[in-house]
Amino acid sequence: MSITVHITTRLILIIVSLLLTACSTNVTVSGDYPSALTKPLPYHVGLVLDNSFTNYTFESSKEQDVTVALGQSQTKLFEQVLTDIFSNKSRLQTVPTQAASSTHNVDLIIVPHVEEVQLAMPFETHLNVFEVWIKYNLQVFNSEGEPIADWLMSSYGKTQTRFLKSEEAALNQATTTALRDAGVRLIIGFERIPEIRAWIEQKELEARLKGTQENTQNLAQGGDQ
Amino acid sequence: MSGHHPLQPYPFSTALFALILLFLLTLTGCSTSTVIDEYRTTNTKLDLNKGEQVVIMGRRHAGEYETEPDFINCISNRIATSGKLSVIPEQEFLDSFYPWFEPRVAPLKLKRMSRMLEEPIIAERIKALGIRYMVWVDGNTETTDKSGSFSCAIAPGGGGCFGFATWDKASIYEAIVWDLKQLDEKGRVKVETKGSSYLLAVGAPIPFIAQVQSDACKGIGNRLKGFFLHGGGSQQEPQKTTGHQGNTES
Repeated sequence: MSITVHITTRLILIIVSLLLTACSTNVTVSGDYPSALTKPLPYHVGLVLDNSFTNYTFESSKEQDVTVALGQSQTKLFEQVLTDIFSNKSRLQTVPTQAASSTHNVDLIIVPHVEEVQLAMPFETHLNVFEVWIKYNLQVFNSEGEPIADWLMSSYGKTQTRFLKSEEAALNQATTTALRDAGVRLIIGFERIPEIRAWIEQKELEARLKGTQENTQNLAQGGDQ
Repeated sequence: MSGHHPLQPYPFSTALFALILLFLLTLTGCSTSTVIDEYRTTNTKLDLNKGEQVVIMGRRHAGEYETEPDFINCISNRIATSGKLSVIPEQEFLDSFYPWFEPRVAPLKLKRMSRMLEEPIIAERIKALGIRYMVWVDGNTETTDKSGSFSCAIAPGGGGCFGFATWDKASIYEAIVWDLKQLDEKGRVKVETKGSSYLLAVGAPIPFIAQVQSDACKGIGNRLKGFFLHGGGSQQEPQKTTGHQGNTES
């Protein structure tokens, strides 16, 4: 008798938990991002990714509970893209202060933050597509920890619902597409940020001046001999 | 033979009528019609040397639709099945050239493509992979009309469905062939396929599905294959073909 009651209780609990989770969508984004076909900038970049970025999870409870954990996937993307667009990359814990700057030996420090994530799902829009928008704020610092630029970068991804494809799979695909688009913005747009452009020009000018000075010194030494 | 036997509730004529109706529906129900419009700039087949490849790409820059990756794979497979053409899969190409052919930045015109090829890093990769022709496919398949309804129910004694539903689909695609060596356009193929599908449910649902997208793939794929394997007129007249259950070969 007690065994029957025990089994019935278990069955009820399973049914209740199934009913509770039936109307929720939980996705842990998993995507692979290709290497970028680009000529690396000749600088050493430091990447600071805090816990709010690496463990970022979007949650919404409008009509339906939706949870999208994209921290791990976006970390993978930023690591990959920054490795490709700079000749050297290091992972830093924090933005170094002026005093500690010499120990890290980096030219630029990038600290990305997720500003906003928006989802549009078929039950909201009555369209046959899943759409994802991600807005990032990229804070860029020089080697001494002084801010150079604050870049708001938005990306977009969508996928059409396909026959027999689950909501989770469609949402994962749309988010991966949005992250891939973020990579495009980062690779192509980074150099075009006016403050970054100015910083690069300054660095190039310094390098040219240094080269000229070295040449002059060499010529002078050659003349003495 | 007056009256009906208790085990034979429907008269023979009704059953015959139902059978004829079913047969007619099978014949006409899922028919598709395909119109193909082809334009070539030369009469001769396109050059493709040993080691050179073709890539078929879908346009995905528009907000309201995207050219389905499955459709692009279907065309690629259709062209590659001849065994005489080497086709690089779309995703492999996109990954090899990331980010230059992503929807946000992919070249929409040949002029932009030629400017992209001025970038040594892109030109070298094109050369290394032997990409000679790039075929851009733009369009999609959508449901244009639907009507009717059916419902299904399950009871302790069994279950079943009852009703009738119909829907129309249209596939409209245009493919443009770019020669990356000579940096010019070699031709275009436009395909328009329409078809109606039905679902008849009397107990068990019986679907009659028109293979609209599949027929569009056959139409556009065969014509594109013709660009590389056979010569053609400088400008062919549009051809209209109709078929049943996906037989839309022109």
